[in-house]
Amino acid sequence: MSVLARILEEHRIATTAIAMVREHAAKVKPPRALFVPFYFGFALGKPDDPTYQHRVIKAALDLLQYAAGPVLSDFPEPDDPALMPQASEVTAAPFQVSRNTADEVTALRAFYERWVGSHGGRTAVGLSGIHQRRFRGMVRFLEAVARGEDDADLPERPPAVSNPQFIRYCADDLKAFYYEARMAQQPTADADALHRWFWGSTAGGKLIADIAGRLNATDDPTLKAIAYGLAR
Amino acid sequence: MPRLEALSEVQRRTLEFFPCLENDTAPWVAPKELSRSKLALVTTAGLHLRDDQPFARDAAGGEASYRVIPSNCNPADIVQSHFSIGFDHTGIYRDLNVTFPVDRLRELADRGVIGSLADNYYSFMGALRDPSRLISETGPEVGRRLLAEGVDIALLTPT
Repeated sequence: MSVLARILEEHRIATTAIAMVREHAAKVKPPRALFVPFYFGFALGKPDDPTYQHRVIKAALDLLQYAAGPVLSDFPEPDDPALMPQASEVTAAPFQVSRNTADEVTALRAFYERWVGSHGGRTAVGLSGIHQRRFRGMVRFLEAVARGEDDADLPERPPAVSNPQFIRYCADDLKAFYYEARMAQQPTADADALHRWFWGSTAGGKLIADIAGRLNATDDPTLKAIAYGLAR
Repeated sequence: MPRLEALSEVQRRTLEFFPCLENDTAPWVAPKELSRSKLALVTTAGLHLRDDQPFARDAAGGEASYRVIPSNCNPADIVQSHFSIGFDHTGIYRDLNVTFPVDRLRELADRGVIGSLADNYYSFMGALRDPSRLISETGPEVGRRLLAEGVDIALLTPT
Protein backbone atom coordinates (compact mmCIF):
# COMPACT_ATOMS: atom_id res chain seq x y z
CA MET A 1 0.00 0.00 0.00
CA SER A 2 2.90 2.32 0.65
CA VAL A 3 4.01 1.80 -2.96
CA LEU A 4 0.55 2.73 -4.17
CA ALA A 5 0.55 5.91 -2.06
CA ARG A 6 3.78 7.00 -3.72
CA ILE A 7 2.37 6.35 -7.20
CA LEU A 8 -0.80 8.37 -6.50
CA GLU A 9 1.22 11.22 -5.04
CA GLU A 10 3.33 11.23 -8.20
CA HIS A 11 0.04 11.76 -10.03
CA ARG A 12 -0.63 14.90 -7.96
CA ILE A 13 -3.03 13.28 -5.50
CA ALA A 14 -2.12 14.08 -1.89
CA THR A 15 -2.19 10.83 0.04
CA THR A 16 -2.36 9.76 3.63
CA ALA A 17 -2.17 6.08 4.46
CA ILE A 18 -2.91 3.85 7.42
CA ALA A 19 -0.02 1.43 7.87
CA MET A 20 -0.14 -1.88 9.73
CA VAL A 21 3.55 -2.79 9.47
CA ARG A 22 5.72 0.04 10.67
CA GLU A 23 8.94 -1.57 9.46
CA HIS A 24 7.63 -1.77 5.90
CA ALA A 25 6.33 1.81 5.82
CA ALA A 26 9.69 3.02 7.15
CA LYS A 27 11.44 1.33 4.22
CA VAL A 28 9.05 2.18 1.38
CA LYS A 29 8.36 5.72 2.63
CA PRO A 30 4.90 6.72 1.53
CA PRO A 31 4.47 10.51 1.73
CA ARG A 32 2.28 10.35 4.84
CA ALA A 33 1.56 7.25 6.91
CA LEU A 34 -0.11 6.67 10.25
CA PHE A 35 1.16 3.52 11.92
CA VAL A 36 -1.60 1.82 13.90
CA PRO A 37 -0.77 -0.90 16.44
CA PHE A 38 -3.85 -3.01 15.76
CA TYR A 39 -4.00 -6.61 14.66
CA PHE A 40 -4.33 -7.26 10.92
CA GLY A 41 -7.96 -6.87 9.89
CA PHE A 42 -8.58 -3.95 12.25
CA ALA A 43 -7.09 -1.00 10.38
CA LEU A 44 -9.40 1.47 12.12
CA GLY A 45 -9.09 -0.23 15.47
CA LYS A 46 -12.56 -1.21 16.60
CA PRO A 47 -15.58 -2.46 14.64
CA ASP A 48 -18.92 -0.88 15.54
CA ASP A 49 -17.21 2.02 17.30
CA PRO A 50 -17.68 5.11 15.10
CA THR A 51 -16.14 7.46 17.68
CA TYR A 52 -12.94 5.44 17.82
CA GLN A 53 -12.83 5.06 14.02
CA HIS A 54 -13.17 8.82 13.66
CA ARG A 55 -10.16 9.27 15.96
CA VAL A 56 -8.05 7.09 13.69
CA ILE A 57 -9.27 8.83 10.52
CA LYS A 58 -8.60 12.24 12.05
CA ALA A 59 -5.07 11.20 12.99
CA ALA A 60 -4.48 10.09 9.40
CA LEU A 61 -5.99 13.24 7.90
CA ASP A 62 -4.03 15.46 10.31
CA LEU A 63 -0.85 14.31 8.56
CA LEU A 64 -1.95 16.42 5.59
CA GLN A 65 -1.00 19.50 7.61
CA TYR A 66 2.73 18.73 7.52
CA ALA A 67 4.73 21.04 5.28
CA ALA A 68 7.24 18.39 4.24
CA GLY A 69 7.73 14.67 4.38
CA PRO A 70 7.84 11.76 4.34
CA VAL A 71 5.87 11.61 7.57
CA LEU A 72 5.53 8.39 9.56
CA SER A 73 3.45 9.01 12.66
CA ASP A 74 2.34 6.61 15.41
CA PHE A 75 -1.28 6.37 16.53
CA PRO A 76 -1.07 6.74 20.31
CA GLU A 77 -2.45 3.46 21.55
CA PRO A 78 -0.92 0.59 23.51
CA ASP A 79 0.54 -2.09 21.26
CA ASP A 80 0.38 -5.85 21.59
CA PRO A 81 -3.20 -6.49 20.56
CA ALA A 82 -4.58 -10.00 20.95
CA LEU A 83 -3.26 -12.45 18.38
CA MET A 84 -5.58 -14.47 16.20
CA PRO A 85 -5.46 -18.24 16.77
CA GLN A 86 -5.02 -20.25 13.57
CA ALA A 87 -6.72 -23.61 13.06
CA SER A 88 -3.66 -25.62 14.07
CA GLU A 89 -3.52 -23.82 17.42
CA VAL A 90 -7.06 -24.82 18.39
CA THR A 91 -7.71 -28.19 19.95
CA ALA A 92 -10.69 -29.74 18.22
CA ALA A 93 -13.42 -31.24 20.32
CA PRO A 94 -14.23 -34.91 19.69
CA PHE A 95 -16.87 -35.10 16.98
CA GLN A 96 -20.00 -37.16 17.20
CA VAL A 97 -20.59 -39.49 14.27
CA SER A 98 -23.94 -37.92 13.47
CA ARG A 99 -22.54 -34.42 13.22
CA ASN A 100 -22.08 -33.01 9.76
CA THR A 101 -21.59 -29.67 8.07
CA ALA A 102 -24.81 -29.69 6.07
CA ASP A 103 -26.89 -30.11 9.23
CA GLU A 104 -24.91 -27.37 10.94
CA VAL A 105 -25.58 -25.04 8.03
CA THR A 106 -29.29 -25.73 8.30
CA ALA A 107 -29.23 -25.21 12.06
CA LEU A 108 -27.30 -21.94 11.78
CA ARG A 109 -29.37 -20.49 8.96
CA ALA A 110 -31.87 -18.66 11.17
CA PHE A 111 -29.03 -16.99 13.07
CA TYR A 112 -27.26 -16.03 9.85
CA GLU A 113 -30.42 -14.49 8.44
CA ARG A 114 -30.98 -12.63 11.69
CA TRP A 115 -27.43 -11.24 11.42
CA VAL A 116 -27.96 -10.03 7.87
CA GLY A 117 -31.36 -8.59 8.70
CA SER A 118 -29.98 -6.62 11.63
CA HIS A 119 -27.04 -5.28 9.57
CA GLY A 120 -28.89 -3.70 6.69
CA GLY A 121 -28.10 -6.59 4.37
CA ARG A 122 -24.35 -6.35 4.92
CA THR A 123 -22.69 -9.75 4.81
CA ALA A 124 -19.29 -11.09 3.80
CA VAL A 125 -20.96 -14.09 2.14
CA GLY A 126 -21.04 -13.75 -1.63
CA LEU A 127 -17.81 -14.75 -3.36
CA SER A 128 -19.00 -18.09 -4.75
CA GLY A 129 -22.23 -16.68 -6.17
CA ILE A 130 -24.14 -19.47 -4.44
CA HIS A 131 -27.04 -18.30 -2.30
CA GLN A 132 -26.75 -19.39 1.31
CA ARG A 133 -30.03 -21.29 1.07
CA ARG A 134 -28.26 -23.60 -1.35
CA PHE A 135 -25.19 -24.15 0.81
CA ARG A 136 -26.01 -27.79 1.45
CA GLY A 137 -25.07 -28.46 -2.18
CA MET A 138 -21.89 -26.44 -1.77
CA VAL A 139 -21.07 -28.48 1.33
CA ARG A 140 -21.43 -31.73 -0.65
CA PHE A 141 -18.96 -30.31 -3.17
CA LEU A 142 -16.47 -29.35 -0.45
CA GLU A 143 -16.84 -32.77 1.18
CA ALA A 144 -16.00 -34.38 -2.18
CA VAL A 145 -12.90 -32.19 -2.39
CA ALA A 146 -11.93 -33.23 1.13
CA ARG A 147 -12.25 -36.90 0.10
CA GLY A 148 -9.87 -36.26 -2.77
CA GLU A 149 -12.35 -36.64 -5.62
CA ASP A 150 -10.47 -34.88 -8.41
CA ASP A 151 -13.53 -34.40 -10.61
CA ALA A 152 -15.56 -32.62 -7.92
CA ASP A 153 -17.09 -29.48 -9.38
CA LEU A 154 -20.20 -27.34 -9.28
CA PRO A 155 -22.22 -25.91 -12.17
CA GLU A 156 -22.16 -22.52 -10.43
CA ARG A 157 -18.40 -22.18 -11.01
CA PRO A 158 -17.87 -19.47 -13.65
CA PRO A 159 -15.72 -20.68 -16.56
CA ALA A 160 -13.12 -17.99 -15.86
CA VAL A 161 -12.63 -19.16 -12.28
CA SER A 162 -10.32 -22.14 -11.77
CA ASN A 163 -11.55 -25.04 -9.71
CA PRO A 164 -8.99 -24.45 -6.90
CA GLN A 165 -9.90 -20.77 -6.75
CA PHE A 166 -13.58 -21.70 -6.61
CA ILE A 167 -12.87 -24.01 -3.68
CA ARG A 168 -11.41 -20.99 -1.91
CA TYR A 169 -14.42 -18.79 -2.64
CA CYS A 170 -16.79 -21.53 -1.39
CA ALA A 171 -14.73 -22.05 1.77
CA ASP A 172 -14.62 -18.30 2.44
CA ASP A 173 -18.38 -18.08 2.02
CA LEU A 174 -18.90 -21.00 4.36
CA LYS A 175 -16.61 -19.44 6.98
CA ALA A 176 -18.34 -16.07 6.76
CA PHE A 177 -21.73 -17.78 7.05
CA TYR A 178 -20.68 -19.63 10.22
CA TYR A 179 -19.05 -16.60 11.85
CA GLU A 180 -21.90 -14.23 11.13
CA ALA A 181 -24.42 -16.80 12.36
CA ARG A 182 -22.39 -17.26 15.53
CA MET A 183 -22.19 -13.52 16.11
CA ALA A 184 -25.98 -13.40 16.02
CA GLN A 185 -26.23 -16.48 18.22
CA GLN A 186 -23.71 -15.25 20.78
CA PRO A 187 -23.37 -11.46 20.44
CA THR A 188 -20.85 -11.18 23.27
CA ALA A 189 -18.33 -13.60 21.72
CA ASP A 190 -15.01 -11.89 21.02
CA ALA A 191 -12.76 -12.69 18.06
CA ASP A 192 -10.75 -15.30 19.96
CA ALA A 193 -13.90 -17.11 21.08
CA LEU A 194 -15.25 -17.07 17.53
CA HIS A 195 -12.08 -18.62 16.07
CA ARG A 196 -11.90 -21.27 18.79
CA TRP A 197 -15.56 -22.13 18.28
CA PHE A 198 -15.19 -22.43 14.50
CA TRP A 199 -11.97 -24.43 14.38
CA GLY A 200 -12.51 -26.38 17.57
CA SER A 201 -16.14 -27.37 17.69
CA THR A 202 -17.81 -27.20 14.30
CA ALA A 203 -17.93 -29.77 11.53
CA GLY A 204 -17.63 -26.88 9.06
CA GLY A 205 -14.28 -25.84 10.54
CA LYS A 206 -13.09 -29.42 10.46
CA LEU A 207 -14.18 -29.75 6.82
CA ILE A 208 -12.16 -26.70 5.76
CA ALA A 209 -9.13 -27.87 7.72
CA ASP A 210 -9.48 -31.31 6.08
CA ILE A 211 -9.58 -29.71 2.61
CA ALA A 212 -6.47 -27.69 3.43
CA GLY A 213 -4.73 -30.88 4.54
CA ARG A 214 -5.76 -32.70 1.39
CA LEU A 215 -4.64 -29.91 -0.98
CA ASN A 216 -1.44 -29.37 0.92
CA ALA A 217 -0.51 -33.03 0.54
CA THR A 218 -0.30 -32.69 -3.25
CA ASP A 219 2.75 -31.59 -5.22
CA ASP A 220 0.79 -28.92 -7.08
CA PRO A 221 1.95 -25.44 -6.00
CA THR A 222 -1.40 -23.89 -6.99
CA LEU A 223 -3.27 -26.28 -4.70
CA LYS A 224 -0.74 -25.73 -1.92
CA ALA A 225 -1.26 -21.99 -2.22
CA ILE A 226 -5.02 -22.43 -1.94
CA ALA A 227 -4.54 -24.73 1.05
CA TYR A 228 -2.39 -22.10 2.76
CA GLY A 229 -5.22 -19.60 2.53
CA LEU A 230 -7.89 -22.01 3.84
CA ALA A 231 -6.42 -23.08 7.16
CA ARG A 232 -3.04 -23.38 8.72
CA MET B 1 0.29 -4.56 14.24
CA PRO B 2 1.68 -6.26 17.32
CA ARG B 3 5.42 -6.32 17.92
CA LEU B 4 7.07 -8.61 15.38
CA GLU B 5 8.45 -10.88 18.09
CA ALA B 6 4.92 -11.42 19.43
CA LEU B 7 3.72 -12.90 16.16
CA SER B 8 3.77 -16.53 15.13
CA GLU B 9 6.96 -17.77 13.51
CA VAL B 10 5.25 -17.99 10.10
CA GLN B 11 3.86 -14.48 10.26
CA ARG B 12 7.02 -12.93 11.68
CA ARG B 13 9.22 -14.45 9.01
CA THR B 14 6.79 -13.47 6.25
CA LEU B 15 6.89 -9.85 7.37
CA GLU B 16 10.60 -9.73 8.07
CA PHE B 17 11.52 -11.06 4.67
CA PHE B 18 8.79 -9.37 2.67
CA PRO B 19 10.49 -7.87 -0.41
CA CYS B 20 9.89 -4.14 0.23
CA LEU B 21 11.10 -1.48 -2.15
CA GLU B 22 13.31 0.91 -0.20
CA ASN B 23 13.38 4.67 -0.73
CA ASP B 24 15.16 7.62 0.84
CA THR B 25 12.63 10.28 -0.05
CA ALA B 26 8.95 10.47 -0.97
CA PRO B 27 7.02 12.33 -3.66
CA TRP B 28 5.14 15.25 -2.16
CA VAL B 29 2.10 17.31 -3.09
CA ALA B 30 1.04 20.28 -0.96
CA PRO B 31 -2.61 19.42 -0.23
CA LYS B 32 -5.52 21.81 -0.41
CA GLU B 33 -7.44 22.56 2.74
CA LEU B 34 -9.44 19.46 3.69
CA SER B 35 -12.78 21.28 3.87
CA ARG B 36 -12.33 22.35 0.24
CA SER B 37 -10.96 19.01 -0.99
CA LYS B 38 -12.51 16.08 -2.79
CA LEU B 39 -11.48 12.89 -1.05
CA ALA B 40 -11.31 9.34 -2.38
CA LEU B 41 -10.91 6.15 -0.43
CA VAL B 42 -8.33 3.74 -1.83
CA THR B 43 -7.83 0.38 -0.22
CA THR B 44 -5.59 -2.64 -0.57
CA ALA B 45 -8.12 -4.83 1.23
CA GLY B 46 -9.25 -6.78 -1.84
CA LEU B 47 -12.78 -5.35 -1.71
CA HIS B 48 -15.18 -5.13 -4.63
CA LEU B 49 -18.82 -4.99 -5.53
CA ARG B 50 -20.75 -8.19 -5.01
CA ASP B 51 -21.32 -8.69 -8.74
CA ASP B 52 -17.76 -7.75 -9.73
CA GLN B 53 -14.99 -10.25 -10.42
CA PRO B 54 -13.41 -11.38 -7.13
CA PHE B 55 -9.65 -11.14 -6.80
CA ALA B 56 -7.81 -14.39 -7.49
CA ARG B 57 -4.49 -15.63 -6.28
CA ASP B 58 -3.62 -17.47 -9.47
CA ALA B 59 -1.41 -14.65 -10.75
CA ALA B 60 2.27 -15.14 -9.94
CA GLY B 61 3.48 -12.65 -7.37
CA GLY B 62 -0.05 -11.51 -6.57
CA GLU B 63 -2.84 -9.76 -8.37
CA ALA B 64 -2.19 -6.15 -9.33
CA SER B 65 -5.60 -5.39 -10.84
CA TYR B 66 -8.08 -3.04 -9.20
CA ARG B 67 -11.83 -2.64 -8.81
CA VAL B 68 -13.94 0.49 -8.89
CA ILE B 69 -16.38 0.98 -6.01
CA PRO B 70 -18.78 3.92 -6.55
CA SER B 71 -18.88 6.00 -3.37
CA ASN B 72 -22.68 6.13 -3.46
CA CYS B 73 -23.11 2.34 -3.70
CA ASN B 74 -24.99 0.42 -1.04
CA PRO B 75 -22.28 -0.80 1.38
CA ALA B 76 -24.17 -4.10 1.54
CA ASP B 77 -22.97 -4.65 -2.02
CA ILE B 78 -19.30 -4.65 -0.99
CA VAL B 79 -17.50 -7.94 -0.29
CA GLN B 80 -13.88 -8.94 0.28
CA SER B 81 -11.89 -11.58 -1.58
CA HIS B 82 -8.47 -10.84 -0.09
CA PHE B 83 -6.76 -14.23 0.03
CA SER B 84 -4.46 -13.77 3.00
CA ILE B 85 -5.31 -15.85 6.04
CA GLY B 86 -2.96 -13.72 8.11
CA PHE B 87 -5.60 -11.19 9.11
CA ASP B 88 -8.62 -11.51 11.31
CA HIS B 89 -11.78 -11.44 9.21
CA THR B 90 -14.06 -11.03 12.22
CA GLY B 91 -13.47 -7.26 12.19
CA ILE B 92 -14.87 -6.74 8.72
CA TYR B 93 -17.58 -9.37 9.27
CA ARG B 94 -18.86 -7.12 12.04
CA ASP B 95 -18.31 -3.75 10.42
CA LEU B 96 -17.04 -2.83 6.97
CA ASN B 97 -15.87 0.52 8.34
CA VAL B 98 -13.05 -1.08 10.31
CA THR B 99 -11.30 -1.53 6.95
CA PHE B 100 -13.20 0.65 4.50
CA PRO B 101 -14.77 3.57 6.38
CA VAL B 102 -17.51 4.49 3.91
CA ASP B 103 -19.97 5.52 6.59
CA ARG B 104 -17.39 7.54 8.52
CA LEU B 105 -16.34 9.50 5.43
CA ARG B 106 -19.94 10.25 4.58
CA GLU B 107 -20.37 11.61 8.10
CA LEU B 108 -17.29 13.81 7.70
CA ALA B 109 -18.55 15.12 4.36
CA ASP B 110 -21.99 15.83 5.86
CA ARG B 111 -20.32 17.79 8.67
CA GLY B 112 -18.23 19.78 6.21
CA VAL B 113 -14.93 18.45 7.54
CA ILE B 114 -14.25 17.09 4.05
CA GLY B 115 -15.24 19.22 1.07
CA SER B 116 -16.77 16.38 -0.90
CA LEU B 117 -16.41 12.70 -1.62
CA ALA B 118 -15.09 11.37 -4.91
CA ASP B 119 -17.53 9.63 -7.20
CA ASN B 120 -15.40 6.50 -7.18
CA TYR B 121 -13.32 4.66 -4.64
CA TYR B 122 -10.66 2.15 -5.71
CA SER B 123 -9.65 -1.22 -4.37
CA PHE B 124 -6.51 -3.27 -4.88
CA MET B 125 -5.23 -6.53 -3.46
CA GLY B 126 -2.56 -6.04 -0.84
CA ALA B 127 0.47 -8.15 0.03
CA LEU B 128 1.86 -8.01 -3.52
CA ARG B 129 5.18 -9.78 -3.61
CA ASP B 130 5.84 -8.46 -7.08
CA PRO B 131 4.55 -4.88 -7.50
CA SER B 132 5.88 -4.52 -11.07
CA ARG B 133 2.49 -4.30 -12.75
CA LEU B 134 1.14 -2.05 -10.00
CA ILE B 135 4.02 0.35 -10.62
CA SER B 136 4.01 0.23 -14.40
CA GLU B 137 0.32 -0.04 -15.14
CA THR B 138 -2.53 -0.23 -12.66
CA GLY B 139 -1.27 2.24 -10.05
CA PRO B 140 -0.66 5.03 -12.59
CA GLU B 141 -3.98 4.21 -14.24
CA VAL B 142 -5.82 4.82 -10.97
CA GLY B 143 -3.72 7.95 -10.39
CA ARG B 144 -4.85 9.31 -13.74
CA ARG B 145 -8.45 8.37 -13.06
CA LEU B 146 -8.44 10.09 -9.68
CA LEU B 147 -6.94 13.21 -11.20
CA ALA B 148 -9.51 13.22 -14.01
CA GLU B 149 -12.26 12.82 -11.43
CA GLY B 150 -11.09 15.95 -9.64
CA VAL B 151 -9.81 14.17 -6.54
CA ASP B 152 -7.45 16.13 -4.29
CA ILE B 153 -6.79 13.68 -1.48
CA ALA B 154 -6.72 9.90 -1.16
CA LEU B 155 -7.03 8.09 2.16
CA LEU B 156 -5.44 4.66 1.87
CA THR B 157 -6.51 1.79 4.08
CA PRO B 158 -5.12 -1.75 4.35
CA THR B 159 -6.79 -4.78 5.83
